[in-house]
Amino acid sequence: MGFNAETLEQAVQGEPDWLLDRRRTALSSFERLPLPSRTDEEWRRTNLAGLDLPAYARFEQRNGHVPERSALPSGVIFEPLAIAAQRHASLIEPLLFSLVRADRDRFSALHAAFFTGGNFVYVPDGVTIDEPILGQHFSHEGGTSVLPHTLIVAGKGARFNYLDEYIAEGDETEGYRSGSAEIFVGEGAEVGYVAVQKWGRNAWHLADQRARLEKDSTLKLFNVTLGARFSKTRVEASLVGPGATAELKGIYFASGEQFFDFHTLQDHQVGNTTSDLLFKGALQDVARTVYAGLIRIEKGAARSDAYQANRNLVLSDKAKATSIPMLEIDNNDVRCTHGATVGPVDPNHLFYLRSRGIPERTAKRMIVQGFFGQVLDRIPFQQARELIEAELEARLG
Amino acid sequence: MATSPKIDVGTDYKEKYGFFVPEDYVFKAKRGLNPEIVKEISWMKGEPEWMTKFRLRSLEIFRKKPMPNWGADLSVIDFENIFYYLRASDKQSKTWEELPPDIKATYDRLGVPEAERKFLAGVSAQYESEVVYHSLQKELSAKGVIFLDTDSALREHPDLFKEYFGTVIPPADNKFSALNSAVWSGGSFIYVPKGVRVDVPLQAYFRINAENMGQFERTLIICDEGSFVHYIEGCTAPIYTSDSLHSAVVEIIVKKDARCRYTTIQNWSTNVFNLVTKRAMAYADATMEWVDGNLGSQITMKYPSVYLMEPGAKGDVLSIAFAGKGQHQDAGGKMIHVAPNTTSTITSKSISKAGGRTSYRGHIKVYPGANNSKSFVKCDALLLDDNSRSDTYPYNDVDADNVTLGHEATVSKVSDEQLFYLMSRGITRNEAETMIVNGFIEPFTKELPLEYAVELNRLIQLEMEGSVG
Repeated sequence: MGFNAETLEQAVQGEPDWLLDRRRTALSSFERLPLPSRTDEEWRRTNLAGLDLPAYARFEQRNGHVPERSALPSGVIFEPLAIAAQRHASLIEPLLFSLVRADRDRFSALHAAFFTGGNFVYVPDGVTIDEPILGQHFSHEGGTSVLPHTLIVAGKGARFNYLDEYIAEGDETEGYRSGSAEIFVGEGAEVGYVAVQKWGRNAWHLADQRARLEKDSTLKLFNVTLGARFSKTRVEASLVGPGATAELKGIYFASGEQFFDFHTLQDHQVGNTTSDLLFKGALQDVARTVYAGLIRIEKGAARSDAYQANRNLVLSDKAKATSIPMLEIDNNDVRCTHGATVGPVDPNHLFYLRSRGIPERTAKRMIVQGFFGQVLDRIPFQQARELIEAELEARLG
Repeated sequence: MATSPKIDVGTDYKEKYGFFVPEDYVFKAKRGLNPEIVKEISWMKGEPEWMTKFRLRSLEIFRKKPMPNWGADLSVIDFENIFYYLRASDKQSKTWEELPPDIKATYDRLGVPEAERKFLAGVSAQYESEVVYHSLQKELSAKGVIFLDTDSALREHPDLFKEYFGTVIPPADNKFSALNSAVWSGGSFIYVPKGVRVDVPLQAYFRINAENMGQFERTLIICDEGSFVHYIEGCTAPIYTSDSLHSAVVEIIVKKDARCRYTTIQNWSTNVFNLVTKRAMAYADATMEWVDGNLGSQITMKYPSVYLMEPGAKGDVLSIAFAGKGQHQDAGGKMIHVAPNTTSTITSKSISKAGGRTSYRGHIKVYPGANNSKSFVKCDALLLDDNSRSDTYPYNDVDADNVTLGHEATVSKVSDEQLFYLMSRGITRNEAETMIVNGFIEPFTKELPLEYAVELNRLIQLEMEGSVG
């Protein structure tokens, strides 16, 4: 067993040839690429020891699970990616894995070769959908791989919200999980995208969420990371048209022995673009988190405005947060600001609350809620907000 | 070196600063680097055997260490095409009048004598690789303060020297500290005894004045318990057409309750590679402050660091970088928290213009057990035109409990509102921009002694002339 050609042929059947070819190419990249090493800056703080990939070369889902759907306006496509690949090849073929590239590293290649499940969302020009579209991805057992891939295409002026929820049913043993998304935001479109990662506490999770924003488009991306023992997520937005605005927000709550790693990129390829990033995390027990973000302003990208912040609230003495905000600015006519903080609960805040008769435990909880409150307000739609607040509530205990 | 790329060296340098003195050397070692050259340097200086061995061992380490593969591009340095030792004048001068006239002419342009006449305690002006001029006020000697060039210190205070030399930055620390350890020459040695406060800044001028000549000065400062000293190092260099390498090592030990401030204004000509290792060890409740200005050189890679060794130690880096045409200033700071309850701050201000590139590169490391430590980093960058570039690379590794760490950075251009306001008052665009830049670096200039602040403002003015409007 292992992730090889045989496994691939068994796992995927009935897919169009172009997709099979693409998977095979990705498999050869997977076989060629080494495991990232700790001398690689991106992976320096990321410990892959203990990851036994071949042990998870078993798949829970077949492609083709049809998601539940509410009534959608005509012309909108919302289908499992593998089915859509046949029916709408002309839409999907040019885009699939053009943002989340299969040859980027070993894990991206593995995901592109073996992705299972995930949805294709296509909203034509000028169409507005009021109700959010919900995609749910489940895992049920350990020792398996669950690798959903979401492809979102928003036509010119389209407006809608989409939620990817990654759910572990039952507390599993170790497994391999990903949950990547490619988001194409057409001219003038407005897209809300929320990903809530709640894989089992023993899972390995590696994912790429990458968006491309055309002229005058807006993306509001919200990443929530709660599950997995090891989670590495790259959140990246390329602003390729003037007037594009990317809002990238994230929260994470790490406890026990969880390790979370976030790499973000705000890639301003043209001028008059705006990006606003805020990742906030709370850590307790012996959890560790790494945040590394880069704002890149290309040479011609004048009048760009970029903001990047990472705030960490460290709730226990043994939890550790690392924060590395970086800038590469090649144009002077810009406004770029970034900031990062790592620190414990302010004893003055705690003292104030306790002096009002609030027990320490409740007081701490209130401080954490307050800490997340600012960013929760930025969740692009109500359903997602309710879900995320309930999840946080349950975890804060 | 046949493939060496052509390097633009800013041809107006000579008119701007006018420091160009014909070469006149008493001794000039051969080009290149091998054990014989190293032995020759050591023999010329009449050094004890341990130092000769130390140099040879360092040379071995230098040869084994790979070139750093990060930061600026260093591949154009040809170590075989550099003079590793020069001595411009045979004897140590005691007074200004005894200095050779051409050296004096150069210093006159820099204003050293005036500075000294005004209030400076001692001048240790380094012309080429060795200190040739040196004076120390009598009351300092009476207090037991030692302020010598490093070569003399090795001869006159061998035990004190040996106790501390190479303990903060061992030769194996990095490739360039190994190189310096093998071929070092000149630099300052300062010892401040227990409880002594040196009220006036001690300063040395460093110069490079020979084609293809590396300058490898070595500075060692020891602040004994409860003492205070402010040391100032300023650099200017005349223009030459091929690359020069400057690779200094500065070691500082700040003992319990002591405070040391080390101020640098680096203004090497724009063909110099400035690759410097600066590090201080701060013990219980001690304070170490680096005030570091980088204006010149083609490439600077310099990250002054403080190892906070005992509880209560405090480290401070205040840094400005100015990168013009063809320049890359890769500067920043490092704070290594080894003990609990230690604090550090890094403030970095950088300005890029005419295609220059400034990079802030910093490292905050908090070792296990260094609990309740605090660190704050602030970087501001100003880009004066759209050819220039600014980067921020802060690396943070926290392995202790209850640590507070903050980082903030901004990048912006000169704001149109500010320019408009000033220009509406009848100030030309160029003057207005210069005023704004001087205002931007004010947190730095206000930490400098007056004549340095004036000099820095004047240098900024020179750099800003002809700035793209």
